[in-house]
Amino acid sequence: MQTPTIDGSAQPRLARGVRLQTDSKTGNRVLLFPEGVLELNETAQDIVCRCDGRTVAEIVQALAEEYDADPKMLGADVRDTLADLQQRKLIELT
Amino acid sequence: MIAPRPYALLAEITYRCPLHCPYCSNPTQTRSDQELTTSEWTRVIREAAALGVLQIGFSGGEPLARRDLQDLIRAAREANLYTNLITSGIGLDDDRVRALRDAGLDSVQLSFQSDNTDLADEIAGARAQQRKLDAAAKIRAAGIPLSLNFVIHRRNIDRLTEMIALAESLQAERVELANVQFYGWAFLNRAALLPTREQVIRAREIATAAKARLTGKIDIFYVLPDYYENRPKPCLNGWGQRYLTVNPIGDVLPCPTASSAIPDLRFENVRARELDWIWRESESFNRFRGTEWMPEPCQSCPQREIDFGGCRCQAALLTGNPANTDPVCDLSPNRATVDAVLRGVDSLGYHVPAWTYRANPKEVQRVQYVSRG
Repeated sequence: MQTPTIDGSAQPRLARGVRLQTDSKTGNRVLLFPEGVLELNETAQDIVCRCDGRTVAEIVQALAEEYDADPKMLGADVRDTLADLQQRKLIELT
Repeated sequence: MIAPRPYALLAEITYRCPLHCPYCSNPTQTRSDQELTTSEWTRVIREAAALGVLQIGFSGGEPLARRDLQDLIRAAREANLYTNLITSGIGLDDDRVRALRDAGLDSVQLSFQSDNTDLADEIAGARAQQRKLDAAAKIRAAGIPLSLNFVIHRRNIDRLTEMIALAESLQAERVELANVQFYGWAFLNRAALLPTREQVIRAREIATAAKARLTGKIDIFYVLPDYYENRPKPCLNGWGQRYLTVNPIGDVLPCPTASSAIPDLRFENVRARELDWIWRESESFNRFRGTEWMPEPCQSCPQREIDFGGCRCQAALLTGNPANTDPVCDLSPNRATVDAVLRGVDSLGYHVPAWTYRANPKEVQRVQYVSRG
């Protein structure tokens, strides 16, 4: 998979027709979209829940503070996850 | 056997349809029981959500033929389900689109028979194409995500480029170019519908190139006619694993085509049983669940949890026994059956037989709907 570089100032949002919801069977967050369900792992849940108009840099900052983690390492994870979700057309970057 | 949780319910709310496509997957014979009522469907939807279902597809027949569609969509949204409408678009006027959107419809899959109006109308057996184009525009204007579904077969497979161009011009988010799967009316009309190997190879090239060109713009899915594969499709991701279908009269099916393809399978009905029991305990859902039922060569095959032995309906239709390995698999002792069909296609030349149009089930009684408004 080619990973497009994602700018820190980009604002990720759920793509049209995609819903974020709690799965009542597992308590986990899932993305629902035409003909599909994606169960989010913990990292992806943390990121997608913050795709609310914040920039990528702000999301990384928030997560780094919450987990007391190195923003550089975390930034790479966040970008990989966002690139994957963008590839699947589940989020859009503006 | 422990039943997993299902993810998606296909709600076939009516067999009535204004189109007569010769590849319809509906049964060629249907029982004349009364369609489920609004309140019966609402109960089914709630029971499905309680079982773990996250998605519902409203299908048919033509689901717009039921005036209570928006009530069912609202019930599904209230149960937290993601709602898809699988439609021909016939009957979708401005008021209807608004009502569906306001009820919370999440996405629409609109079927097309071709990009070309004359051919499309000939295939549908009705003047439908212009109304479909109008429907696409209305769906777009309402801001509802739009997928197009082109059913591909011998008569239209050479127009893939034009079909993709139509999808682009209609600004669809997603396009399925799905070769006909041979069940129901399509099985009856197979000789008229099955494309040649050359057509299939060419179509795949076009689809692959378009997929690359439109990455990030339109998602393109190309579904091969599985007779041309040498390993079977992972049908339903396994029998009774993720999907269930409820048909217009309330029978619950592990697969929408099982009622016509597997005559000895007895289906439970939501009027008599709760969905939870049917999913977990019924003979029809358990007969091919898991891997214990599998014959050789599936039983010892490393692929057995990848393709699950293929399609039970296809095994039944082509070998007479639903418990056989899907004969599409080249390890199946019955693969020769499929090869014989393919040789038949090549020998047709220009003498492609006429098809039989899908007829509406005349006996199905209509329900009077009381809309909640």
